Amino acid sequence: MTAYLIRRVGQAILVVIGVMILTFILIHIEPGNVARSVLGFRATQARVSLFNSTYGLNKSLPAQFWSYVDEIAHGNLGDSLYYQQPVTTLMGERLPNDIVLVGLSTVLALLIAIPMGVYQAVKRGGVADNLLTGVSFTLYSMPTFFLALLLIGLFCVQTHIFLPTAPQVQNWTGLFADPRGIALPVITLALLSVAGYSRYMRSSVIDTLAQDYLKVARAKGLPQRLLLFRHVLRNSLLPIITLVGLSLPAVVSGAVISEDIFNFPGMGQLFFNAATQHDFPILLGSTLLVGVATVIGNLAADIAYGILDPRVRHVSH
Amino acid sequence: MRKIRLAAAILAALTLTAGAAACSGSSGSGSGSSNKGSTAGGVKHTGTVSLAWPATPDFIFPFAPATNTDGYNGNLTNELWPVLTYSGDGGQSIVNPQESLFSSITWAPDDKSFTMVLKSWKWSDGQPITSRDFTFVYNLLKYNWQNWVNYFQGGFPTDVTSVSAPNEHTVVVNLNQAYNPAYYVDTILNEVPLLPQHAWDKESASGAVGNYDETAAGAKAVYAFLQKQGGDMATFATNPLWKVVDGPYTLSQFQPNGTYTYTANPNYSGNKVYMTKVVNEFYTTDVAELDALRAGVLDTGSLPLNDLQQANLLKSEGYSITADDLNAFASVYVNFWNPQVGAVFNQLYIRQAMEDLINRPQIVSKIYSGDADPGNGPVPLNFGSLVSPLEKSGGPYPYSPSTAISLLKSHGWNVVPNGVTTCTSPGTGPADCGAGIKAGQQLSFVYAYPSGVESVNQMEAAIQSWEEQAGIKLTLKTAPFNSLIGTIGTCTQASHPASTCGWQLFNEGYQPYALYPTGNQNFNTNGTYNLGGYSNPEMDTLINDTDYGNNAATFLQYENYAAEQLPQLWLPDSDFINVYKSDIGGFLPGNPFSEAINPEDWYYSS
Repeated sequence: MTAYLIRRVGQAILVVIGVMILTFILIHIEPGNVARSVLGFRATQARVSLFNSTYGLNKSLPAQFWSYVDEIAHGNLGDSLYYQQPVTTLMGERLPNDIVLVGLSTVLALLIAIPMGVYQAVKRGGVADNLLTGVSFTLYSMPTFFLALLLIGLFCVQTHIFLPTAPQVQNWTGLFADPRGIALPVITLALLSVAGYSRYMRSSVIDTLAQDYLKVARAKGLPQRLLLFRHVLRNSLLPIITLVGLSLPAVVSGAVISEDIFNFPGMGQLFFNAATQHDFPILLGSTLLVGVATVIGNLAADIAYGILDPRVRHVSH
Repeated sequence: MRKIRLAAAILAALTLTAGAAACSGSSGSGSGSSNKGSTAGGVKHTGTVSLAWPATPDFIFPFAPATNTDGYNGNLTNELWPVLTYSGDGGQSIVNPQESLFSSITWAPDDKSFTMVLKSWKWSDGQPITSRDFTFVYNLLKYNWQNWVNYFQGGFPTDVTSVSAPNEHTVVVNLNQAYNPAYYVDTILNEVPLLPQHAWDKESASGAVGNYDETAAGAKAVYAFLQKQGGDMATFATNPLWKVVDGPYTLSQFQPNGTYTYTANPNYSGNKVYMTKVVNEFYTTDVAELDALRAGVLDTGSLPLNDLQQANLLKSEGYSITADDLNAFASVYVNFWNPQVGAVFNQLYIRQAMEDLINRPQIVSKIYSGDADPGNGPVPLNFGSLVSPLEKSGGPYPYSPSTAISLLKSHGWNVVPNGVTTCTSPGTGPADCGAGIKAGQQLSFVYAYPSGVESVNQMEAAIQSWEEQAGIKLTLKTAPFNSLIGTIGTCTQASHPASTCGWQLFNEGYQPYALYPTGNQNFNTNGTYNLGGYSNPEMDTLINDTDYGNNAATFLQYENYAAEQLPQLWLPDSDFINVYKSDIGGFLPGNPFSEAINPEDWYYSS
């Protein structure tokens, strides 16, 4: 297991370095002048030159890349060209909000999807299964913005139960100052995830139910409830663990569309604004963070898999 | 795009003011009546109102560095440290005598100096506002103007030769040349706020206040200190420096994500402020803002023209909707130095033909539902006496495809309606295409504009279609504003090979004016906003006459000339649609220089 972990971590580091290089190159070959994007097209040449020298944009690309790597090595992602604040500060303000948003929506989605998937598998082919399948596919195929606007229309404009915009807060605890503000972003993301999770869960449970050891357990007279909770659920959760692990990048990348619609002060909003403002340090920082999170998420899923399924450990040896 | 437009409008709002009294050299009174609606009867003396902004400020010291062009900094600071001349009184394009910081400005007969008497107002800490506060501002900028984002060539403070303060409330400013008083007061003095010397003249947070600004080294140190403090967003609402204000509000809360709250300044010396708390919220998108309005959780906001169909719904939910004029002009920039088509644009008859093909009245009626200035020339119609009869009558180029086609044919072009017109008679004769235009040259241009606004999309598509009638082919290119401006720069004879000079036609949106709608910076050679590099000695002379002379007739002469010469192609300029809770009073008539966003004038009816 140790050798396996070392190998996986080594691969992860290489992937992150590759992501960093690729992102840096892609961003810098984009047409357009960074200084003018930030300063406006009326900026005088003197002002553009001052901007370029202030941010090191007058150096060659390799020199800029080396400076960037050097800064990262010192834990610094640079300063935002637009906000003129350290990127780490900007991310530090928004990342906890996304952890709350994505974390809550994932938990809510799992609380709905797991029982739903199990129920559908047990009642496979029945009316309830078909009905829930229809609901799942509807949610699965629904664009985020459409569902969000639908919920806003229903719960904010028509009934005034929730607020259409998230609280504009300085730290994540403030998100709960008025829970009506965060309810809809969480519900929207959860509903969109329910479809995927429940379908995986349903398939997984159906596969598990067909296993010989369950037939034996059933033949031995094990009650259905015990059968489901002790044997079926645990073994069927493996694919869900992978899915949850892979959702880690969403925590740090945020949910761009939902955050925009609900005016949620998260990483997605930060990234979107940076993309439209040519704010390279934020784009680079965000991409790097997402790359790291993707690698860590995969790694965590692999490790969790190994812990839950001894066969994986044995194979890795 | 909205950011730049708003920023510019706010900048203009800050800049335009100094009323007719000041401009004429008389000693006006600061106690003139306001044009705001009456507040008599049923006014609540406290209230909280929420506003929406599409972007966030990131700097609080009123003199942001040259590299910081966040237009929303002005939104934040103007309520804290207003500029000397306050533009707009009610809905009128005049100096607001009540809210301006001076009580009079008297010009010397040669218009090369003026004496300004400051009002006997107080800072929020109770200290009096004095002429020393003005000299503090002047000294800081005198030694640091290179690092002030609002500085423009020839403007304050490099236009000043000396400043003296003969008494506590009087300053005498000597200029390096004669100025048109209206231009100077309306355009230059509304860039300049007063700053509290008694609290800010220090070189470090723990240092004592002194007269450091009186030496070059000291002024640089103080400026550097204040700029450093001014960028620390975490302390915007807590730094003792920023607690000393002379505006209607103090900053009580600021969140780096863009939300900030004002509380009424109890020591404000101007009109009584009824909205005691103003919550400024940041909305990334129009959709989020509209949702907040529809849900009733936002007191005021703007309604994109695309969403005008929501107006009835909003009205039914207790909002009022108003279309407010902007003191601005809209236009299409043409690049006179583009290597492929610059020579074509240099021909006035080509620009005339293109303007002849733009059906501006139809844009106003069909796309903007009547809520727009017709764009008959460089000066919008709401400038009253400064609008020439030519502009009032529809401008020099009413919609006329036949005139456009005749013009092109008479200059040697083979006009192919719905195709591409080409030059068949190169040369410089009166019937030829013109200098630098070769045989076979096509009237085919790339027309760039910012994406995201449906009404603009409709207008550009209509223009494209109208131009086709004379075989002028426009290829529309749209992209997010901030992406687009990375590829578009100011082009002149000297700069035109630059990568940012490849554009051909560009519609930015609108360009706001100060109270005095000068052509300076817009149409003069090397003007800051003269993106296309238009250069015409006669235009330069006329603009100089309007800014530095003192003859009202000269302005109309300039205006007509600019309207006819088409340094840019004129377009209608849409109004700004505001939505506000119907129980908010004082919203109307809206100030054209601030997009009607003046919470210090608002109140709730009891």
